[in-house]
Amino acid sequence: MRDIRLRTGTATILSVIAFYSITGAVAAFVWWLVFTPNLALVRKNRLVIPSIAMIAIFSIILELTGGAGLAYFFRMMVVILIGVWLLSGQTRGEFLHMGCWLLGNRIGFELGMLAEMGLQNLHALLIDFDRIRAAERMKGVRSGLQSIVPVGRVLVHGTLLRAEDTAELLAVRGYVQGGTCVVTFAREKGDIPAAFFAVCAALIAMIPVSAFFILS
Amino acid sequence: MRLVLDDATVTRGEWHITAHGTFPEGIHLISGNVGSGKSTLALIMAGLLPPAAGSMISEEISSRMISFQFPEYHITGTTVREECESWGLDPNPLLSSIGLKDRHDCDPLRLSRGELKRLHLACILAYQYDLLILDEPFSSLDVCEKRRICSILSGRNRGITILFTHEQAIFPRVRHIWEIHDNQLHSCGSPPDGLRHWQHAPAFIRKLVDLGKVPKNISPEDLEAAACAI
Repeated sequence: MRDIRLRTGTATILSVIAFYSITGAVAAFVWWLVFTPNLALVRKNRLVIPSIAMIAIFSIILELTGGAGLAYFFRMMVVILIGVWLLSGQTRGEFLHMGCWLLGNRIGFELGMLAEMGLQNLHALLIDFDRIRAAERMKGVRSGLQSIVPVGRVLVHGTLLRAEDTAELLAVRGYVQGGTCVVTFAREKGDIPAAFFAVCAALIAMIPVSAFFILS
Repeated sequence: MRLVLDDATVTRGEWHITAHGTFPEGIHLISGNVGSGKSTLALIMAGLLPPAAGSMISEEISSRMISFQFPEYHITGTTVREECESWGLDPNPLLSSIGLKDRHDCDPLRLSRGELKRLHLACILAYQYDLLILDEPFSSLDVCEKRRICSILSGRNRGITILFTHEQAIFPRVRHIWEIHDNQLHSCGSPPDGLRHWQHAPAFIRKLVDLGKVPKNISPEDLEAAACAI
């Protein structure tokens, strides 16, 4: 799905219904299986498995302490998968375009620019993380809890430096607020049907079962 | 001792880089434009990035080290002293040798980029690695410090040293010059002949070559000698 407006709207709807109920999570999961490259996305993004593993740990704790851990795990896993799909098709500048389309050239521009900066930073963080781990391996530092603190320190330091550089650059260029952006959106053949079926999935999840079937 | 790249290739989307060549002991200089794949090639040579095609063969190389362009990546200590100790080094003589003896308890991330680079290079150059890969070692350093690093590198009496750099003025004497263009690693040859084929050569080296005063090598002394012969 190339149109960022449809992609974001679809991801929002599916995430909400997945979080809201098990029925919604099942509907969103089926949509994810049918309309996305599903397993290819999971293989491509190395944050997926660790994120799901982290959710699994919390879910086990929840289950052991009397909560509905299994349901929580399934719903959150679907939310993560939908989020990964949303970001997998991301191209530079599209959130800026969407922000301006949605909220205009002032607030929309700023929110869009913030989203773009956030995503750029996420990309930079992943590169930094790889380099730091490689440097640690060369130095003979073993992976584990002890290595988390130095890695975190350097990542936070790098992020703050980049934020400072960006702020200075914007100030030097005379940025005060808002901006002008001629919005353009690309769309491909399957965008509308996929979005339509996401809305259908939401309706199925939100309307009580008794509205569809006559139950005795 | 040598490192052999046999059409080692890394692909990222539509971009790729292929390297073929043999790196015997001595200093090798690799230059190339920004984005040409220097850091990627450095990762392959360090054994941190397996080639998607082709291979890399290390012969009699038992220890290897890579220095990344950004020294922050290597920091594991919370003080300058701890950082030296994390490399298994005595902080006192090391910090005195690089003019940071008053900064023992300082957070390494609070050092300036130049100071941090000095500290990092001093830690790395304290050891005799069989294969030493330096990615932009001269960035953030002043001329005096660049000369000092060149002198240390020239003093390495064994091992393979590979410099990936954009540096345009201060170099150590090198054994071989390589460059990356058109997504491939090309051998320019050894100085002085190699200087004739070096497309990324700094302007003044090209000028000397054009004038027929080809320097014997690329160290400041060699360049000065060639310039004085004009």
